Amino acid sequence: MKVKIRQWSGVASWSWVANDENCGICRMPFNGCCPDCKVPGDDCPLVWGQCSHCFHMHCILKWLNSQQVQQQCPMCRQEWKFKE
Amino acid sequence: MEEMVVELNSGEPSAPGSDQGVAKAWESVTAALVSPGSSLSEQDRLNLALLCSHGLGRLLGVWLLESLQVRLSSSVVPEFWSGLEQPQDQLEERDRAGVLLSAFQTLLDRLDPFLSGLEQLGAWQAEGRCGLSGPGPGALQDRAFTTIRALLLFSPPTVLQQRVLEFYSRTFSVYMSREGGEDGPEVLEGPDGGACPGCRAPALHCWCPEALQRLQQLSLALSRLQLLEWVSAEAVTAILHRLIEQRMEQHCRGEYERSFLLDFQEWLELVLGWLGKVFATEGGGAAPVPMDPSVPSTPSACGSPVLKQWRCHMHQFFCRIYVNMRIEELFSIIRDFPESKPAIEDLKFCLERTNQRQQLLTSLKSAFESRLLHPGVHTSDILTVYISAIKALRELDPSMVILQVACQPIRKYLRTREDTVRQIVAGLTGDAEACSDLASELSRGDPVTLEMQDSDDEGNDPEDWAPDPTDAVPDKLGSKRRSSDIISLLVSIYGSKEIFIDEYRTVLADRLLHQLNYNTAREIRNVELLKLRFGESHMHYCEVMLKDMADSRRINSHIREEESKLSEEEQPPLALSAIVLSSEFWPTLKEEKLELPAAVCHAMEAYTRRYEKLKAMRTLSWKPHLGSVTLDLELEDRTLTNLTVSPFHAAIILHFQEKSSWTLEELSVKLGAPKELLHRKLALWQQQGVLREEAAGRYVVMETGATRDRLDRGVMLIDSDEERDSNTTTQSEQREEKLQLFWAYIQAMLTNLDSMTLERIHTMLRMFVATGPVVTEMDVNELEAFLQRKVREHQLIVSTGIYRLPKTS
Repeated sequence: MKVKIRQWSGVASWSWVANDENCGICRMPFNGCCPDCKVPGDDCPLVWGQCSHCFHMHCILKWLNSQQVQQQCPMCRQEWKFKE
Repeated sequence: MEEMVVELNSGEPSAPGSDQGVAKAWESVTAALVSPGSSLSEQDRLNLALLCSHGLGRLLGVWLLESLQVRLSSSVVPEFWSGLEQPQDQLEERDRAGVLLSAFQTLLDRLDPFLSGLEQLGAWQAEGRCGLSGPGPGALQDRAFTTIRALLLFSPPTVLQQRVLEFYSRTFSVYMSREGGEDGPEVLEGPDGGACPGCRAPALHCWCPEALQRLQQLSLALSRLQLLEWVSAEAVTAILHRLIEQRMEQHCRGEYERSFLLDFQEWLELVLGWLGKVFATEGGGAAPVPMDPSVPSTPSACGSPVLKQWRCHMHQFFCRIYVNMRIEELFSIIRDFPESKPAIEDLKFCLERTNQRQQLLTSLKSAFESRLLHPGVHTSDILTVYISAIKALRELDPSMVILQVACQPIRKYLRTREDTVRQIVAGLTGDAEACSDLASELSRGDPVTLEMQDSDDEGNDPEDWAPDPTDAVPDKLGSKRRSSDIISLLVSIYGSKEIFIDEYRTVLADRLLHQLNYNTAREIRNVELLKLRFGESHMHYCEVMLKDMADSRRINSHIREEESKLSEEEQPPLALSAIVLSSEFWPTLKEEKLELPAAVCHAMEAYTRRYEKLKAMRTLSWKPHLGSVTLDLELEDRTLTNLTVSPFHAAIILHFQEKSSWTLEELSVKLGAPKELLHRKLALWQQQGVLREEAAGRYVVMETGATRDRLDRGVMLIDSDEERDSNTTTQSEQREEKLQLFWAYIQAMLTNLDSMTLERIHTMLRMFVATGPVVTEMDVNELEAFLQRKVREHQLIVSTGIYRLPKTS
């Protein structure tokens, strides 16, 4: 017997490769989106800092904008630098 | 001059002769009174004056009534009854009618002297002649008639009623056939053929005119005796009742698509003509209605108060009978609704005139319960009837109270059915044929948003406000909130739209996952329509799901493109496409363990790598059991092409490619799936004649010998068991999960607060668990049931309504 597969339609779910489940700022899941967004994924990406913490991009930007003096990671208080 | 005479008379018969003179005078006066037609002679006048002077004037009236009474009870009444009963049954109907008439006429003849005597005496009294005083003719006669009625009809034998009924029925049918309005079954025989349509006698012996003649005479006699109302009313009422009922049975029963109000209005006018004859002489005074039956007598007769009263009665009868019949049939009317609208409108008209709402409610409720709400009826059928009921009853009662009250059992029952929400959603999305109304209802022009109905808007014009009917259920919701919108009513069966939207999400997920192409046009339309009703925010998850589909298509074509750039040998062995989900936004998908064959796994890994390259920092986790596979099977003597199966089935058959014989155990290990499940899945291939089960759980490929010619047919192979909608967990499973989530909260609360009442727990839960897609409104009852279960499982202790955790040992 020979089986010839014409088409295999699979189902998969995507997830961020992150070391945590939830965003430390908004407490929403990374795989969801920040409170201001409606659509996850491309429209509400994650960003990583050099301290290896990651957040929803919108969340960390909001945080950084609200910091007057020094821009720190809200988790470890190190200076925030985007990871390249 | 009068007084002179009186004085003279009083003076003349002095002491010894005076008694005798008075006696004489009494006799002569009374004789004159009861002798019909004689006017008072001069002598009588003197006698009368004499009597009056002796103060006997008052006694005249009493005597007259007394002798009337004696006469009545001694001879007249027995004569009347024997005259009526004497011939018994031997007689023809026609003769019986004659007997009836003559009995009354004899009665009239016998009593006439007294009546005229009374009239005369009354006239004297009224004139105050000879110092005579008394209540006047009216009162005297009233008393006389009361006496007659009392003696005659104190305990009338049934024969009178029978005769009267018979006679009136006959004259009625004669009249109706004369007036030409009646097209009952009588006409079928034809006027020439044999029986006259009116009197049912052979045409030669038709006595229709005679019957009408007699009717008039009888009416005259009765009204002269002031017995008309007493003798006829009952019979007439009975006849009218029977006839309206009959006519309604013949014309209206089971016939809902035509309005009968006007028909009956006309017919009732005709009947009124007959009533005009029955009560002709009473209302119309002395002038009898012209007897020529061809001249419609209605206009002249209608005016009298008696007829007006009867007209009212008749309308009342009609409405009542009609309502009774329709109430009985209401279930069927509702079932046929859009076609049965005329019946509903008629019923509405009549119901406003009778006080039968309560009866309607009770009967409709029990009809629902006995005919609809039992396990043998499919949920979609119940929904269909419910939808019809909504449509029909909102016509019937714009205040929606009937709808609300009568359909309460349906709603309650639907709540107990597992698949209600699924059916409603299927109806909304146009999947179910049965509830196709829902889809059109959804796409209707002016959707009433659920938000809007929640607002406290009390309507536009305060002048239009009407109080609720008395049978309204007193609840927090005012009449304004009593919605008539079908979708909102259905959605509110469960009390909250969240459950409903959750279910919709599940259905949508199923539909999307079963799609092989990424065509979502219809789903997008549905979601847009639902958004109009439920508001943007509630449909947000569904929107993300649809967007996932679109994104998946883009990703797929991108990856395809990448692959096509590769050289020949690097081409992937398997054409894999994927639907990539945003797991947070999709309903919980059923987990099933399945190890796919290596080739497929490789393909998936390759796909994942390309995805990771496309979307930085993101990866895929595959749901091996979801999706679908299209494959061809080449066996030695036949080829099965274009089979579409689930990945599970595909994995099974792929293994048989390597080795043509497997035991259940081996396969189970290989696929990482439990044996029971595997066994079920294998059945499909057995059905297709591809595999054969040998002894000891061993399956082999049937390379040859299968007789079935399933060649070249693209078939969608679906398991016989629940495969179709098994991708998502069922409603009750999800609910159970949610309750478990609540249990954690409850335990925490009870640990901190020691003991709590049911209400307290409920409010606390509502406060804590307030957001997210998984939260459903849980009502107190449900919570109580859940807590009771925990109590039974000894995880909770309850005493006097206070819950606490058991002391940890």
